[in-house]
Amino acid sequence: MINRKLVKFLSFRYVILALIFIILAGGLVLIPKFEKQEGITPEELLSNIISPERYMTTDELAERIINQDPSLLLIDLRDEKTFKKYTLPNAINIPLKNLFNEDSAAFINQDEFDVIFYSNDNFDADQAWILCNRLGYKNLRVLKGGINTWFKTIINPPKPKEHMQNKAFELYSFRKAASMYFGVVYPDQVKTNTPKPIQTAPKKVIPVKKKKKMPVEGGC
Amino acid sequence: MGPLIPNDIIPFEWSSIIAIIIGIFFGFILEASGFSSSRKLAGVFYGYDFAVLKVFFTAALVSLIGLLYMDYLGYLDMSSLYVHPTYTWAAIIGGAIMGIGFVAGGFCPGTSLCAVAIGKIDAIIYVIGIMVGVFIFSELYSIFEPIYTSYFYGNITLVDSLGVDPYWFVFLFTIAAIIIFVLADIIRKRVKKVFY
Repeated sequence: MINRKLVKFLSFRYVILALIFIILAGGLVLIPKFEKQEGITPEELLSNIISPERYMTTDELAERIINQDPSLLLIDLRDEKTFKKYTLPNAINIPLKNLFNEDSAAFINQDEFDVIFYSNDNFDADQAWILCNRLGYKNLRVLKGGINTWFKTIINPPKPKEHMQNKAFELYSFRKAASMYFGVVYPDQVKTNTPKPIQTAPKKVIPVKKKKKMPVEGGC
Repeated sequence: MGPLIPNDIIPFEWSSIIAIIIGIFFGFILEASGFSSSRKLAGVFYGYDFAVLKVFFTAALVSLIGLLYMDYLGYLDMSSLYVHPTYTWAAIIGGAIMGIGFVAGGFCPGTSLCAVAIGKIDAIIYVIGIMVGVFIFSELYSIFEPIYTSYFYGNITLVDSLGVDPYWFVFLFTIAAIIIFVLADIIRKRVKKVFY
């Protein structure tokens, strides 16, 4: 038996399909727009945050500066005043609030250099690191402890105690050498240049030989 | 989430197997809808059968609308989908050659293989012709190279190059498609029926 109602309904099937298409496509136009998330996914960001890779120790940094590693890009996140007072060699000053200015983007958003953020401690640097990482910037690291730790370890390394392991002494000697590279002077390294008494050189008497008269040779 | 293979949800090694499975289904559906008949395919150009036009237009619309919805809902990242690179003149010339081959032979590359699978002799000759064409192209590649590699615009889409809102574009495209379907039906009714 033919279901007449169904036949009647199905004679409109193409119209119905066309309407479904228009409704679906119109829905795309009408759905509320939202800002799409830019950069990496939250999961990826979390795994980056947990990773110990994001920190660079002061010792590692000192070694790389001393070896004149060309892939190093130091970014000082403190304000200009403190930057002028003291900073690491060849650092670029981008205060945290200027981080996303147009001219600073060129330094941070690239994948040629190892960008190392630092501030007085690693609080500001961590903030900058998370913001930039979220946007998917590459090769970013944070100097662990910032300038404060830099002073405590490299510029003014604590002397190891007698009972400490050999490693501590090795580290100390490295740090001491590094600090000398960065311009620290140790008393035992300073050469005492007490002025030597000026010795007057004894006068040399050079006897001037009298020219012998040449015997007259032949001639007229 | 998606796309599944670039995001490592399905391992890359499975891609060929998935391609074979999809290919089998694609071929089956082409054959089932009569696309292995060269008369049906050529019908688009002579105006007595618009099945090809309707099927491919509908397929494009369904996937386009579906992709945009999935992108909106976050199941799919449209930006990591593969977009075929655009070489303008190579595409125009290649498209013209393929169109002539399509009208003359009654197959496109996909449907010709479908027809070979059911043992059509004209399709076998058509595929041999494709092979000859491929051979000639590869042998004379150095001559064709300047056209083949120039006018490169990168992996752009219509939405990128026109700079329009993709949602509005799809909406207008849908309406255009429906108008084309209606027009195709009108033409089909006017043209003398062909029995095949």
